[in-house]
Amino acid sequence: MSAPATVSTDASHAHEGKFHVFVQLAMILVIITGMELLVIYMPLADWLIITLLMIMSAVKFVAVIWVFMHLKWDKRFCTVLFVIGLILGAGTLGALLLLHGADAARPVGPAYDEAA
Amino acid sequence: MSSHAATAGQIDHHHDATTTTGIPNKKLFMWAFLASDCMFFGTLIATHLVYRLHPPVGTPDPRDIFAIELTSGSTFVLLMSSLLMALAVNSCQKGNVVTTRKMLLGTIVFGLIFLGVQVYEFVHFVHAYGLTLSSSVFGSTFYTLTGTHGVHVAIGILWLVLMYIRSFKPADESDGQGWIMRGVLHFITFAAMAVLSLYTLLALVHGYEDGHGLAYFFSNHFMAFFGCVALLGGLIWFAKPRGPVDFGEANAVDVESMGLYWHFVDIVWIVIFPVVYLLEYVVLP
Repeated sequence: MSAPATVSTDASHAHEGKFHVFVQLAMILVIITGMELLVIYMPLADWLIITLLMIMSAVKFVAVIWVFMHLKWDKRFCTVLFVIGLILGAGTLGALLLLHGADAARPVGPAYDEAA
Repeated sequence: MSSHAATAGQIDHHHDATTTTGIPNKKLFMWAFLASDCMFFGTLIATHLVYRLHPPVGTPDPRDIFAIELTSGSTFVLLMSSLLMALAVNSCQKGNVVTTRKMLLGTIVFGLIFLGVQVYEFVHFVHAYGLTLSSSVFGSTFYTLTGTHGVHVAIGILWLVLMYIRSFKPADESDGQGWIMRGVLHFITFAAMAVLSLYTLLALVHGYEDGHGLAYFFSNHFMAFFGCVALLGGLIWFAKPRGPVDFGEANAVDVESMGLYWHFVDIVWIVIFPVVYLLEYVVLP
């Protein structure tokens, strides 16, 4: 009879631990969001601001999928499955930006002449 | 990962021995869907950025349009809703139905606030700046991207409401399908409450913007306000305990799958917020 009680107590402790992890992570995410907002008004080089924004966004992204979405505790296959979609999505985004960011891809015509 | 949990002696909510992958099918389906949704949002974000790289003449300056403080506020609200969703899953895994319901309700309310801010933002952009889907390429890509995200949020809220109502299914099925009728009425009350409260809140905000006070609000929108109070009473009545329910730890995987969807909505916004809003203040032309 004592075994189930032990299991229950351990499970309870594990869930209490998760509760604190979730709350602490939420606070960290809020702080990072505030920092994102501050960074755009700081007198820094554009490349540095963009790098900082991307890093902070990536940290928030990974923290949410790892902890809130339970990838930390789930089987590795869930991570692999999601990362495949993520790589394809990010790859599409990167490829389109590279293609259209090139000089040869610059649109021409009356609607763009003044802007150029 | 799951074996680690099992050796700790706790109930393993991350492993299902009856499936070949060891992962509950519902959860596996949700991860596969979210992976495909990554590609969907990847193309939408890319399209927006590509057109922002080469804006045609006459494209409005987003810095004149955006209210970054408001958007930051809604980002905060969505992050907090993610926290409540995680706590709802945690409570459900413990079999704590009452806390699960409270956390689901909190997530619904925060989701509705986020949607309300988005509706306010869109209405403001259309009326104050004339930015519509067809007014410029920027308008087209901006509304398509943020609107698609908003639709995801709305679907998430619908799912949350259905799960909340599902948590009231009685364990005793002696009254036949009576709980289904009660569930339908519960849902109608919820939907009416969501629409009416958003309308009332937006009317209050617009009233203040136009320089009107509370007296003006109550004289023009008293029925809407009274309707909200009445519907809130209805929701409290529906939430009254009516004996044991057929909802608990066994439903944790359902709540977790829904949670995965909700957190995904949050991580999409984590990308949209800096890329679509914050970058405008740094480099984009």
